[in-house]
Amino acid sequence: MSPIPLQRFVLSVASAGLLGAVSLAALGDEQEPAWAQGRAAELGNSPLSPHAAPLTVTPEEDIPLDHLRMPDGFSAEIWAHGMPGARMMTLGDEGTLFVGTRSIGRVYAVRDNGNEREHVIVAEGLTQPNGVAFKDGSLYVAAINRVFRYDDIESHLANGGDIPEPEELTDAFGLPDDEHHGWKFLAFGPDDRLYIPVGAPCNGCEVDEDTHATIHSFEPDGSDMRIEARGVRNSVGFDFHPDTGELWFTDNNQDWIGEHGPGDELNRLGESGEHFGFPVCHSVGIVDPDLGDTDACEDKTLPAAVTDPHSAPLGMRFYTGDMFPEEYRNAIFIARRGSWNRTLSVGYDVLVAKLSEDGMRADLSPFMVGLLDPRENAFSGRPVDVLPMPDGALLVSDEQNGAIYRISYDTPDYVE
Amino acid sequence: MCRHACAPGRRALVLSWLCSGLLAAEAKSQEGPAAGLPLEEQVQVCGACHGENGNAVEAGVPSLAGQPALAFTNQLIYFRERLRRSEIMTPQAQGLSDEEIQALAKHYATRPLSPPDGKPDEALVERGRELAHEHRCASCHRSDFSGQEQMPRLAHQREDYLAQAMRDYRERTRGGPDTTMVEILRNVDDEEIDALAHFLAHFERG
Repeated sequence: MSPIPLQRFVLSVASAGLLGAVSLAALGDEQEPAWAQGRAAELGNSPLSPHAAPLTVTPEEDIPLDHLRMPDGFSAEIWAHGMPGARMMTLGDEGTLFVGTRSIGRVYAVRDNGNEREHVIVAEGLTQPNGVAFKDGSLYVAAINRVFRYDDIESHLANGGDIPEPEELTDAFGLPDDEHHGWKFLAFGPDDRLYIPVGAPCNGCEVDEDTHATIHSFEPDGSDMRIEARGVRNSVGFDFHPDTGELWFTDNNQDWIGEHGPGDELNRLGESGEHFGFPVCHSVGIVDPDLGDTDACEDKTLPAAVTDPHSAPLGMRFYTGDMFPEEYRNAIFIARRGSWNRTLSVGYDVLVAKLSEDGMRADLSPFMVGLLDPRENAFSGRPVDVLPMPDGALLVSDEQNGAIYRISYDTPDYVE
Repeated sequence: MCRHACAPGRRALVLSWLCSGLLAAEAKSQEGPAAGLPLEEQVQVCGACHGENGNAVEAGVPSLAGQPALAFTNQLIYFRERLRRSEIMTPQAQGLSDEEIQALAKHYATRPLSPPDGKPDEALVERGRELAHEHRCASCHRSDFSGQEQMPRLAHQREDYLAQAMRDYRERTRGGPDTTMVEILRNVDDEEIDALAHFLAHFERG
């Protein structure tokens, strides 16, 4: 390790000792907002900053459905709307779609009566309740600082009554509550355990490898915590291979290193406990300029695929349905929320990842585009999650417009 | 003058009878008093505390005139959703629809905001100007401090309100999902906050 980062680290530890609960990372760049950590001094007046998600309803006629383009045969419709900040999705056993959010603090439930969808707010006033997962009749919700379980929620919704107070599992899970990269994603694995990432509480910093920049798994009651993956800066989406059960996850790489790097990641977890590089090794094997030694990447697991720097690949799911053509079977759909930390915008789309024969690597290719106007360098929507439905259609959540699109497939006329 | 009116941790809440009467009547109802009213009447309700045309004269109450529409909208939604809790504003915001909030935001965004009466303390203005430069306030709030998008207007805002808002951010008592200002103000002391508030309230292009 070079002298400068070492010195910075020692200073941080000393300060943290004095200030108690304040995270190590936050002390590196005093008086900068979290998203500006790591910004070079000469970029102090850079216009780049995160795009705030609207908190208000987008009228249906303003939802950019006609911007969406997909390969021939695919078409999109507005499946549900009027839900500001709609992000992560999970499906209940009875067909209710649950949708998490960040800044507006709500969890929505969408019920499909066949002709149209209606939504209700099942939780509100929470701190970034991004994570939602469903198991055995219960909805699990993870906010930054709290975890809840809503038992029998679909029967309560069907009866039209009030939703009972949830079980609070916050203490059982015992997760850190840092704001920075503290919003959670939730998914149950094929082992029936609940998988939860804990992001690095910083843009780039030394972290405790047992608490941050990790993906943990737990029994559904919050017991028996295991560390599944280390060195994961900020994963906000994962799924399990339909055949092998392996965990595949997206990861967002560091800001302010450069317009063109390091690339964001699609990763495959081969063995529990593998280290994916943060904070010393990024993307395809780029040593961190401040924190990495020359051999920093040697014992790290490199990505199965990389995508554009800062493009923010978030929700991802394997496709096992039979509505789409054969080439999509066991491929991964990946929602990219789109960039802020580069002057030439990228992302704002859905990619498809096709795995290699040996199941170790993947090719990435555009699937749903049109929300980014490259000529104007402007965007009209931000895909955050994807969810294959039982009929084989694919739902895509658009946080910018509080809408959920349904993508379906009909064989084009010219195909014999 | 703020240095006398809002000592750290003390809220400057000496409201007129009209404003406080409105708040007392409101406490009994689930919906805020402006919910469902025509815009002209909603503006009367807001104006009881926030002043005619959004130029506040009550101590500690922010002016709404000239605020970017998104800044106004987001704060009212934070109140409505109980993400930012205030004994005064959280009840006021209940029952307001997104459309009502956005219409009010648009209304106030176009009202002119008058600079404060009284002569500024030149030394304090200069100290505030230096601090604003040092903390890069203009990089988000614009070089004329008129605000943009979700970042509020600071120029000609009430000095006592600015000082209290900055203290509340620093002490993490303001609430709301956006922690940007909490980070920025973490190590800014009272003397600096008072200078910043004085400079911004009396802002003139240097």
